Amino acid sequence: MAFNTRSSEDAAVAELDGRFDAHIAPQVSAWIEEMAARAPARLLVNLSGVTFIDSTALATLVQGMKRARQQGGDLHLCCLQQPVRIIFELTRLDRAFDIYLSEDEAVTAFDS
Amino acid sequence: MESDEPMSEEHTIRIDVPASHRYLNVLGGCIAELFSRIDGLHEPQVVSYNVQLAVQEICANIVSHAYQGLAPGRIAVSFTVDQAPRRLVVDVRDTGRSFDIDAVPEPNLEEAQIHGYGLFLVRQLMDEMVYTPQGNNNHWHLVKNL
Repeated sequence: MAFNTRSSEDAAVAELDGRFDAHIAPQVSAWIEEMAARAPARLLVNLSGVTFIDSTALATLVQGMKRARQQGGDLHLCCLQQPVRIIFELTRLDRAFDIYLSEDEAVTAFDS
Repeated sequence: MESDEPMSEEHTIRIDVPASHRYLNVLGGCIAELFSRIDGLHEPQVVSYNVQLAVQEICANIVSHAYQGLAPGRIAVSFTVDQAPRRLVVDVRDTGRSFDIDAVPEPNLEEAQIHGYGLFLVRQLMDEMVYTPQGNNNHWHLVKNL
């Protein structure tokens, strides 16, 4: 599992690879907490390399989205692989998150 | 051996892992390899993913809840490929705390929730899920028809 982060004026971006599960979730959660405390809370999680996601990871993202929205911002997702997208659809979380096909679209959407 | 368990020992794989989130990926790898040698499946990668996620959810639940506050425990998992009917049977055992599965609420899918998706996903992804709390030997029995 790789977990890389970067920040720009437009957004704080986390890029994950491999399994996003209960083992890695605390690390992602800590990053979300730190970034959501900044204004504006514009967080983007790029899931392009994620091949597996479990309910702990989903919970981490939901918590992050709620935290970012409390701060007047948002947490966007992008680049979901098909198996991951299916899990979002099963739990109907695809309706709760703003999910984009590309990182550019996801970043631009913060201004819309 | 309980009556609801498959008898095809010749096609049974047993794995015993420490009850730690760190090692649960090993089970996913095992399931993926198991499926790589099962021929004739419709959408084998999807079926493999579904079983991997169901087993992950059960085991993560055991780590986070059954063994919470207890000395480090273990999780014993067996996978059996039955031919008639064609199915994969997964049995998971822990020696942690048991719980009342009927008291676990279904998630409200109308709003995003932080907890409650784990067992919901297992029920969605598998054809059977039975939890039998047996003192300090809890048993999860999962079946995926192939």
